[in-house]
Amino acid sequence: MAAPGQDLLDLQLAVEERARAAGLDVPEIVYEVVDHRQLNEIAAYGGFPVRYPHWRFGMEYDRLIKAHAYGLQRIYELVVNTRPVVAYLLRQNAPVEQKLVMAHVCGHADFFVHNAWFAHTDPNMMDVLASHGARIRALADEHGFEVVEDFIDRVLSIDNLVDPGAMARAAGRPGNAPPLERGASERDVMGHLLLHAPLDDWQHEVLAVLRDEAYYFLPQMLTKIMNEGWASFWHSRLMTSSLLRDAEVVDYADQHSGAMGGEGQMNPYKLGIELFRSIERAHGGELRPLFDARRIHNDLTFVDQVMDPDFCRRHHLGHTPEECAAAKDGLLEQLTNGGQPVIRLLGGGAGDDLELEHCWSGHELKLDHAEQTLRHLGAFWVRPVRLHTRLEGRAVLLTCHDGLVSREYGEMLDEPDARTSGAA
Amino acid sequence: MTAEGRIARDRRRFADIVRGHIKKDLRQYVTGSELIGRKGRQLVSIPVPRIELPRLRHGKNGQGQGQGEGQPGGDGQASEGQGNAAAGGEPGQHLLEVELTLEEMAAILGEELELPNIQPRGNARMEVTSRRYTSVSRRGPRSLRHMRRTLKESLKRQISSGTYDPLDPRLVPTADDLRYRASKDVVRPDHAAMILYMMDVSGSMGREQKEIVRLVSFWIDTWLRSQYRSLETRYMVHDAAAKEVDHDTFYRLRESGGTKISSAYALAAELVEAQFPPEEWNVYLFHFSDGDNWSGRDTEKCLGLLRDQLLPSANMFCYGQVKSAYGSGQFMKDLSGALGDDPRVISCEILDRDGILPAIKTFLGKGL
Repeated sequence: MAAPGQDLLDLQLAVEERARAAGLDVPEIVYEVVDHRQLNEIAAYGGFPVRYPHWRFGMEYDRLIKAHAYGLQRIYELVVNTRPVVAYLLRQNAPVEQKLVMAHVCGHADFFVHNAWFAHTDPNMMDVLASHGARIRALADEHGFEVVEDFIDRVLSIDNLVDPGAMARAAGRPGNAPPLERGASERDVMGHLLLHAPLDDWQHEVLAVLRDEAYYFLPQMLTKIMNEGWASFWHSRLMTSSLLRDAEVVDYADQHSGAMGGEGQMNPYKLGIELFRSIERAHGGELRPLFDARRIHNDLTFVDQVMDPDFCRRHHLGHTPEECAAAKDGLLEQLTNGGQPVIRLLGGGAGDDLELEHCWSGHELKLDHAEQTLRHLGAFWVRPVRLHTRLEGRAVLLTCHDGLVSREYGEMLDEPDARTSGAA
Repeated sequence: MTAEGRIARDRRRFADIVRGHIKKDLRQYVTGSELIGRKGRQLVSIPVPRIELPRLRHGKNGQGQGQGEGQPGGDGQASEGQGNAAAGGEPGQHLLEVELTLEEMAAILGEELELPNIQPRGNARMEVTSRRYTSVSRRGPRSLRHMRRTLKESLKRQISSGTYDPLDPRLVPTADDLRYRASKDVVRPDHAAMILYMMDVSGSMGREQKEIVRLVSFWIDTWLRSQYRSLETRYMVHDAAAKEVDHDTFYRLRESGGTKISSAYALAAELVEAQFPPEEWNVYLFHFSDGDNWSGRDTEKCLGLLRDQLLPSANMFCYGQVKSAYGSGQFMKDLSGALGDDPRVISCEILDRDGILPAIKTFLGKGL
């Protein structure tokens, strides 16, 4: 890892000057120059090479280097939501590629600063994660590495049981998770366990640390299309309007189309950039509405608002009104709660059984995973844990008692109504 | 700690979990027939419980999922077909398939058996060729089309012919503009090794004996391939007469007749002398039989051939005696008696499939 040389610093200055002139709010950005191996390492840690020890980071790294070796996947850019924003440049990239990455990073940085769903994230996350790492290492020394690792494994299987709606409550405080002084919200199962589960002190501490990290990473899941779309919209605009030299045009076009191509409608880069361009077109090239959209929306509300039949036809997502509506519904469904099932607390004070409900959205839970997750919840809660869900059209109650999961089938339910409650 | 240090530790921990599981079942992988015949770079899917973190997530459920506790199941089922079967039938048990190359399997095998890394002998060198896509050509398949170079050619042509309009910069490549990625062969030197497997296929060697030989040969092959990039494998069968055969025949052939081991050693000596001079090759000789030879005189002839011709050219001579219902096992006694002090000679008795791992360790444990 190295600081960028003078040529890259000059390039950065030029790119950021153009970006600011175009209206982006670019905070301080610190670039690090790395090789592929280092970039894969940092990516395996979700952008933070300072995190607690865990085998899944090693597994992710193995996956990344294999994907890289077989040419399946190549990471071009990696940008981290901290202040200053930290971003990585590949050493072997050509100058035009570095310029493209820098313009793209300006878009991400502006998004981190202004999108409402990021308002609660701690600006000092590099330090926060480093101190989390230090705490967990100390606890592992004290209680045994494998004991702590087992506990972390169990917590990771419930770290999607958090409340996107409660994120704003953490804004302006250190850390990322909503405060628990007045209790946990009904979607914040992790918070509820912190308040009421009979945990040892060290377990409580590990759970609190992982809950905080879950809330930090949550907005990135909820704004993937917007975030990449916004960054792509700006790299395209900045490059083609002023940054590109003539000799670089073909190279740039090749790279840009490479990023936009591929897996059809769900390439978030492509979908995002086209949604922003569609707003631009609708307002005769005026940019103010784009800046507003990047401030208030997440992917779900963004797609809901911007994707109309005209957009669907233009991008071949559908042609008849019915096809367009179906394409949009399908996408919204994938984006609801970041694609995760919505789980809600029904009850369970300290000393009670813990009762959860899977808010039905037309899709069953994967049963073997659900039962194993329930066992993990049962290990935290000690008393019985129940989950209400549906299987094969019938109400089902899964109960975990002393590590054993049983299943009770209830009455046959009406045809599922796909959109009931609990959208993020 | 540096980032490098951290990732190294987390990888090691991940690898330990995977390896721990594989080592636990190593005997099953090595003594089962599922992996036979695969090549070094090929991926083997190993189902590993515990690695996948369970979560509440959407997903399809098979009809009529079984009730009750999942048992730790599917252990040791390395073939693709069986791995899938385990995933369908056992709720509560999470099997993530981890993909390993056979080379990685060999490394685990080596670690578990504490096999030393093999030191190449002398300056024996040969060249290996590998293919790199580093150049550009005017012909090629569509899938290798180099879009950037093609468009640049197109741009050059349009500018030089005056058909390029900066206000409508449309590039239409013609057949002449098309460029493709092309491969170049890169040659580099490497140590060379040859392995010769010799097998007694006389009437007394039954199916199980041949299967054991097949398994031992396969894992030895896999291990040696992980040590030498260029490996030449030859096969020979013998009853009263010897002949060189290909891989398939080696594993299938069943002859019935008497046994003259000397026929194999004489042919081996000829082969090594003609094609694998010891200055250029590391030579490994393996012979498997049930230990029954035609006569004491033939055994004398065998020992002579070994002493005077084969051993001087070979890194190692390994004799594996597979137990069969009819074999007397005399040959191993005679071999040990005459050449047991020679460090290049290793012999080992294999009673049944449980003897496979110890045999591999005996043969390769010295790292000659």
